[in-house]
Amino acid sequence: MPEFLKGNYKVDATIEDKADAADSTDAFEKKALSRLGGSICFVSKKSLMWQGEAQPAGGAAAAGEATTRTASRATPEKGETDGAGTKDSRRA
Amino acid sequence: MELGRKIAGALEAATFERVAGVGLANAERNHPRIVHSVLELAGTPLGAGDAAIVVGAGPSLQRRRSLERLRASGFAGTIVAADGALGACLRAGVVPHVVVSVDPHPARIVRWFGDPGLTAVPADDYFRRQEMDPIHREDELAANRALVGLVDAHGPEIKVAVATSAAPAVVERCEQARMELYWWNPMYDDYDKPGSLSRRLWEMNGLPCLNGGGNVGTAAWVLTHAVLGRKRIALIGIDLGYAPGTPYEKTQYFPELSDMLGARHTEAFIHTENPVTGEVWFSDPAYHWFREVFLEMARDANCETFNCTEGGLLFGPGMTTVPLDAFLDTIPPAARKGSHG
Repeated sequence: MPEFLKGNYKVDATIEDKADAADSTDAFEKKALSRLGGSICFVSKKSLMWQGEAQPAGGAAAAGEATTRTASRATPEKGETDGAGTKDSRRA
Repeated sequence: MELGRKIAGALEAATFERVAGVGLANAERNHPRIVHSVLELAGTPLGAGDAAIVVGAGPSLQRRRSLERLRASGFAGTIVAADGALGACLRAGVVPHVVVSVDPHPARIVRWFGDPGLTAVPADDYFRRQEMDPIHREDELAANRALVGLVDAHGPEIKVAVATSAAPAVVERCEQARMELYWWNPMYDDYDKPGSLSRRLWEMNGLPCLNGGGNVGTAAWVLTHAVLGRKRIALIGIDLGYAPGTPYEKTQYFPELSDMLGARHTEAFIHTENPVTGEVWFSDPAYHWFREVFLEMARDANCETFNCTEGGLLFGPGMTTVPLDAFLDTIPPAARKGSHG
């Protein structure tokens, strides 16, 4: 703001930079909004379940491949699953 | 754009702000207790066939006596309940095969399992104020005592699909009631992005991450399809809205909306006519977001989802709306003699 107020005169008023105030307003809004959120996240355009990186064939998570796909993901990627087919992919 | 929809548009990020920190802290605290992955649930004896019913704690559960009708039908498919619906299920004689719990709140959620440590009416009016399980409005302590007894009695018959974000108090209560715990991680963010929290969690405990859809009812549907592999899933008590005539003061997010918007809080509610019943239900920004997310997920999933709530706001592409009795009539007779239903 101060750089826009240069001129061939002086003013008595002190011009305060509002950047900090704007930041604190944003933080307040963020905090207020967070109280309205859900109990678990939703991650858009991702599969219903992700089982981590697929292991080499025969490994523990070898069956962790998608058996179906979502419309938003044309090609299922490793470890993503939207349906069953998970029985052999236990990790814990 | 209406104020409610505008706020709803910001809730994907806001939910991350709300739950990520405490969820990750709980995951670290719960880590030593993890024995079974939720993936093991698919190999355990649950209900027969590919049909399942997911039970939420919305007002239609009481209004339509859905649980009593389910019980009378002898449905032998799989029954998965949100934690908030557990008490209503047990009181109706329906013992769910699986209960899902995810909310990291340190004190509230244990109440859905009956809190043996509750000896005085709490200052927090969360349970008295809202519609989810109206029995708490009448006598909170008596309702809690009765639930403690029911959960203690049926605990060994019930498996809990518990998120690593769950409060340790919930985990302790489930273990005390001899419920078997099966663990999973909430998906917090895009696991393909650098620094992803979801990936960090998976690296820490090796558990699958489920995309939870904002609330435990939606997470229960995700689990029923993606983990248990059920292909025909009926919903009861998942309204994602408030019934006609519900005072705003009795809605779940009223204190937060009132604090945030002051006198304008009424503008945050969104009223919509249910095309089947003709009733006008309403949502707040959170429920509106839950609804949009659920419909998006159901539309893309490789399963049939039947809204059998006979009310609520969950209708649209990807969702087949049918009365509960009509869905139950489609179940083969062999799958209608359940010990849980």
